Amino acid sequence: MAQLELRDLSKRYGEHYAVRSVSLDVADGEFLVLLGPSGCGKTTTLRMIAGFVEPSGGSARIGGVDVTYLPPWRRNTGMVFQSYALFPHMTVAENVAFGLEMRKLDKSETAARSAEALRLVRLEGYSERLPRQLSGGQQQRVALARALAIRPDVLLLDEPLSNLDAKLREEVRIEIRELQRQLGLTTVMVTHDQEEALTVADRLVVMADGEIRQIGSQRDLYERPADRFVAGFVGRSTFLDGHVAAPDAFETAGGLRLASLTQGISGPASLALRPERLTLGPTNALDNRLPGRVEFVSYLGAVLELHVRLSPADRVVVQMPNRGDAAVPKVGDAVEVGWPREAGLVFAGQGNPAIERENQNVEA
Amino acid sequence: MRSVAAVEGRSNQRFGAAGLVGPATIYVAIGILVPLAILFRYSLNQFVPGRFMVDALTLENYVKFFTDAYYTGVLWRTVRVAFATTAICLLMGFPLAYVLARTRTRRKNLLIMLVVLPLFVGNAVRAAGWMVAFGNRGLLNASLMGTGAIPQPLEIMFTETAVIIGITAVNLPFMVLTLQSVIEGIDRSVEEAAFSLGANPWRMARRVLFPLAMPGILAGTILTFILAMNAYATPVLLGGPRFQMMGPLVYSQFVQQNNWPFGGAIAFILMIATLILTAAANLMVQRRYRI
Amino acid sequence: MRRPLDASRLGRWALDGVAALSLGFILLPLALVIWLAFFRQEIPSFPPEGYSLRWFGAVFNHRSFVGGFLLSLQVGVAATAVGLALAVPASLAIARRRFRGRAPVNTLLLMPLVVPGVVLGTSIYVFQIESEIATGWPLLGSTYGLVAAHVLIVIPWAVRLVTASLAGFDPTVEEAAKNLGAGPWTTFRRVTLPAIRPGIVAGAMFGFVMSFGNLEMSLFLVGAGRTTLPIAILQYLEWKIDPTVAAASVMQIALIGAAMLVTDRYVKISQVV
Ligand SMILES: Nc1ncnc2c1ncn2[C@@H]1O[C@H](COP(=O)(O)OP(=O)(O)OP(=O)(O)O)[C@@H](O)[C@H]1O
Ligand SMILES: [Mg+2]
Repeated sequence: MAQLELRDLSKRYGEHYAVRSVSLDVADGEFLVLLGPSGCGKTTTLRMIAGFVEPSGGSARIGGVDVTYLPPWRRNTGMVFQSYALFPHMTVAENVAFGLEMRKLDKSETAARSAEALRLVRLEGYSERLPRQLSGGQQQRVALARALAIRPDVLLLDEPLSNLDAKLREEVRIEIRELQRQLGLTTVMVTHDQEEALTVADRLVVMADGEIRQIGSQRDLYERPADRFVAGFVGRSTFLDGHVAAPDAFETAGGLRLASLTQGISGPASLALRPERLTLGPTNALDNRLPGRVEFVSYLGAVLELHVRLSPADRVVVQMPNRGDAAVPKVGDAVEVGWPREAGLVFAGQGNPAIERENQNVEA
Repeated sequence: MRSVAAVEGRSNQRFGAAGLVGPATIYVAIGILVPLAILFRYSLNQFVPGRFMVDALTLENYVKFFTDAYYTGVLWRTVRVAFATTAICLLMGFPLAYVLARTRTRRKNLLIMLVVLPLFVGNAVRAAGWMVAFGNRGLLNASLMGTGAIPQPLEIMFTETAVIIGITAVNLPFMVLTLQSVIEGIDRSVEEAAFSLGANPWRMARRVLFPLAMPGILAGTILTFILAMNAYATPVLLGGPRFQMMGPLVYSQFVQQNNWPFGGAIAFILMIATLILTAAANLMVQRRYRI
Repeated sequence: MRRPLDASRLGRWALDGVAALSLGFILLPLALVIWLAFFRQEIPSFPPEGYSLRWFGAVFNHRSFVGGFLLSLQVGVAATAVGLALAVPASLAIARRRFRGRAPVNTLLLMPLVVPGVVLGTSIYVFQIESEIATGWPLLGSTYGLVAAHVLIVIPWAVRLVTASLAGFDPTVEEAAKNLGAGPWTTFRRVTLPAIRPGIVAGAMFGFVMSFGNLEMSLFLVGAGRTTLPIAILQYLEWKIDPTVAAASVMQIALIGAAMLVTDRYVKISQVV
């Protein structure tokens, strides 16, 4: 176990940067999650830490030792692959013992430590099976045991749960988190599942286009997104395009003047609103109170989601808890939407960055 | 009702399968099995000089082969050459197959075509290339003597070395393509997993890559071994008239001496020897690697 | 910090080096033949005295090369056509239907690939003699006899490549077509056939090339004075090597290379071999 430091780590393929100038510190025993849209360079970053990809620039240190150009077999990193990458011709026990054999441990210690690793993942009875005789979840746990058995300085997980079904995924991620805490493992995990990231991480790193956009706790990212991209990517936001009309006012493209904290931004901008921070109905005490018409209703069970048109150019999404006491608004109903000025975040630039990215990906 | 329809559908299909597969099957069965049977029957006949072939039921052709040191010598030489070329093909082929299998660029298709092209061009043409290289005034001797490395031209043409080099070059593409397709099926991340667990490339290869590639190694070895045992053009052109291997021997007995019974017997000995050695290799490898 | 020159990088170079060496070894004889075809002098001695194109003209004065080329072409085309007609339906059945004896039938159809050429040649030779005796029809040494034998080498390649192309074909697509109202024949023509076309193209190409280049088997089956191109080249080389035979070989290499490039447009060769 050790701390991990990345300094200006970059990887270039031809003219294209897969990863650009990534700097990170992961504390001893910390669980860090890399989060970001597809193709943003998460895997590449992880593979540079593991030594599979040679960086084009920058450095990586594990436990204070420069490992930037060390081949993977001379770093003590435990890696769990998305495909698990179990050795198909070896039994579960042989898989788990492999790393210990490579370290030339004697027989009894190898046996003891692989048994211990299998016990940690609760697969004691399966040691003589071949990987193909295991379910997906069991294979995933063998892969984890195999990485844990070598007592890695850093545990690296690349979307370790993406091949499991939703139910199992929730169970296993809690297990991984508990094991990690119990063993005090420095861990870096890659995922593009937000819920997964928010559940397990001590800290999160949001990446886009090969660069780090923000590093922080769940709360930091949600309450104080560093930019428009993070605001759109972590949790949900509706973006209203417009411009800053006064130090305390934002004017939308549809001409609505909204009380906002503009944080010194001027010119074209957008206002990000979290659906659950908006209130429907009598909204006397709030800074912004606007009439609108319901255009779309989703009945999601625990919450209701309404799309409300405020002006020909402005539409917001409002989420309301389903308490069962009030009548559910219908399409076409006239309603009043309100929010306090702190609920809106103003960013320079326009459009919804997350959606734009998705569209780009579809075209590409 | 539904089950009746289902049964009808199936029997309909069964008839269809026979109709589809029947002509080809009958053609190949008649084209291969019947000729082999006739050839075997011939090999039990007698050859009487002047009277050509005489009907009989005797093993004397087989006895003649195994009691004459000349013929057993040819068989032994053929087996030796086949082993040598197969071993060299494996050693030279694996790295190329691995690099091809792990190449992901557009260059890959071109490289594969370069491996396949010689395969298509035929053995005689490739032997001609080695004749250009190995002759007394060929490329090799001319450059060695030109640089003063040797005073006399080396005798490579018409030696076992020349034949081994020639057959190796002929068979290498088969080995490479067989290995390449198997290695391609091995998940790259399995290799990476071994690396991340502390295996250096050599130990990764021994513990992970070779065992997983074993079906390809076996298939490639068998294929190249069969081809080497039965080589014809290369020994004829690079070995010369005095260097006999089994393939040319069959031809000369059959076509030049018109001794069909003995030629047939040699052909069968060649085929059986090939089959026995391949089966033995198969068993050995399977026992060792439980595949 | 710069990338140090360590063992793992050297290992990677060594691997690439050996791979390049092997590829060079495979290609060297072809390169030498091509080189020789452009020599000015007739004796293949080094260094060449100069270069010339005249040997390519000389090839056409050799009856055995011209006749051999035409015979090989004729036999290759005919054998490929017949072989495909037999192999494509059989591949459809093998890849798509479950019938008893499927595995042995498959093995039988692929058998011509593993029976050694010399053995195949001798046995077909005696078979053709016996059928000549039985029917009185002169099969041995005729073009028909040669084509009939070459069909045997086309079939396994076509079966292998067409079944391979069908393996990746999702049968529910056919069901979808039927569900949309297409009958069995329409379904085959509009859905199945386009899907297996790459396999058929590849099978045709491989079958043709294998037939065109076949030496060992044909050796026993050609008639006097009528040889295929590979046999003509072999017999010439047994006598001597000179730029004329090299030029004939170059033309063969060029023809096959062109066939490969054309095929590659329909189906990536790296995916079918
Ligand atoms: N070997 C390579 N050659 C060229 N480009 C590459 C290579 N590997 C990755 N890239 C590019 O680098 C970028 C980052 O890839 P990476 O695999 O790190 O993304 P990711 O964040 O893991 O995405 P995902 O969530 O889809 O797994 C992508 O644009 C990808 O196309
Ligand atoms: Mg990834």
